[in-house]
Amino acid sequence: MKIELKKMRHVYPTGDEALKGIDLVIEGTDPVAIIGQNGAGKTTIVKHFNGILRPTSGEVLINDENIEKCSTAQWSKEIGYVFQNPDDQLFLETVRKEFEFGPQQIGMSQKEIEDRIGWVAKLVGLEDKLDVHPFDLTSTEKKFCTIGSVIMMNPKALIFDEPTCGQDVEGNIRLRRIIEELHDRGKLCITISHDMKFVVDNFKRVIVMCKGQVLLDGKTEDVFTQTEVLKQSFVTPPPITKVAQGAGLKKTVFTTEAFIKVFEEERKK
Amino acid sequence: MAKVSNTFVPKHTVVENINPMTKILAVFSLGLGTLIFPNFWLGLFVILGLFVVAGLAKLLKEFVKIMFGFGIPITVMLIFIQGCYSPKNRTYIADFGFAKLGLEGSLYALKVVSTLLVFLGTFYIMNKTTYTGKLVAALTNSGLPPKAGYLVLASLNVVPQMQRRMSIIQEAQSARGVETGGGMLARVKAYIPLLGPVVMSSLTDAQERGMTLETRGFGITGVKQTTYVEVEKSGLDKILNMLLILFFVIVLVVTVLMKTNII
Repeated sequence: MKIELKKMRHVYPTGDEALKGIDLVIEGTDPVAIIGQNGAGKTTIVKHFNGILRPTSGEVLINDENIEKCSTAQWSKEIGYVFQNPDDQLFLETVRKEFEFGPQQIGMSQKEIEDRIGWVAKLVGLEDKLDVHPFDLTSTEKKFCTIGSVIMMNPKALIFDEPTCGQDVEGNIRLRRIIEELHDRGKLCITISHDMKFVVDNFKRVIVMCKGQVLLDGKTEDVFTQTEVLKQSFVTPPPITKVAQGAGLKKTVFTTEAFIKVFEEERKK
Repeated sequence: MAKVSNTFVPKHTVVENINPMTKILAVFSLGLGTLIFPNFWLGLFVILGLFVVAGLAKLLKEFVKIMFGFGIPITVMLIFIQGCYSPKNRTYIADFGFAKLGLEGSLYALKVVSTLLVFLGTFYIMNKTTYTGKLVAALTNSGLPPKAGYLVLASLNVVPQMQRRMSIIQEAQSARGVETGGGMLARVKAYIPLLGPVVMSSLTDAQERGMTLETRGFGITGVKQTTYVEVEKSGLDKILNMLLILFFVIVLVVTVLMKTNII
């Protein structure tokens, strides 16, 4: 899977320039996180990846094909998109029907749907709730229901808009497992998140957006080392990372264990 | 993403700064005035005046569109019905063969049309030049219970809100493989999955908003509530108010005189 943006700009009908010329390539299957303050253009940029929004100028290429070639419904076979608010997406009577809806739309065979449904339900933790009405689910479960209904469509890449929003620890652990499993199956996950701990734990590559531009893009450790640049985007590294930076440790750490280890090493010197 | 909550777009004109209550008074004074007046001449003059007001409010283009778009078909229709088939017809001014056009009926049709257009025009200008929040603030200031005021605000806001939701849900469904473009049938088919979430989410929204309002002391009793939106009553408003009341009184007196003179 390769998503490429070339000098891409997006101007909303109100005249606000949300994206100011973005050059970006996302390739392979390593999960990518997009972070930045509200209004930085995170959602706007990912809405271009499956053609919900079309660039005002510049190009969006999916596997070297121009996004303009097909409608969003056709791109949905290639790229899944989980919206922030589950209530915008769910409308059927049971979780099972929600899971079957997308695949049916893109013409997946009934057999394949049945083959996938068990795995997906287990992955998102709804295997016992397949016959429940989505509105009777808790808000966390609803979110996993939308995630499941998009995974069901078997896209090659998945976009999650703020999956961590409103999740408890258990939800975060499940999300982590979903991202890992999708990675193992050769899927690309692109995630917008405000939860820095979640980002450093799960993503190898981080893209920092600020005022419609890509401010930083690179390996997670490299991005969080550049504290001065990060300040511009009002993104703060996780607390333990800041402690390590304040203590003058040379390595960037993201977990308490790593902190202790690096600290011990440096003390011995 | 639209930022305005209703059809109001600030243009900083004189008409915009007029107190909403004055505008409401204008709707009723001009509308009722033309309604009771025995012939259509008054309505015609008021409509001409409204075009000038629309010009002042920088709305002339849209105003012309709506007035003619509504005015011409309704005039043709009413003149045909009333002019040809009104029982009041005595003098005939044209003969189509299948029906004769009567003078009395035609005049009556013109009067109905002019009254309708005055109401439509005044209401249109009021709606386009008034920020909803200001309208409601003015209404509550002049004694409308805040709850009723909220009802007005909510119902004026619900349509654009639903439209916005609709477009988000449309995006969400197209991301699930629902083809939203294409032929008529495809569009209708694509609409069905949209309806559920739109209705459901507006219901939950309404409930949630109700609860939020309660927690913010909306239902509190025995307190005089103030509004954040300040509504001023300028000297111009006072003059306009007087003029509008004067207009209605004069029309009323003239109407009574004309009726009694004739009968």
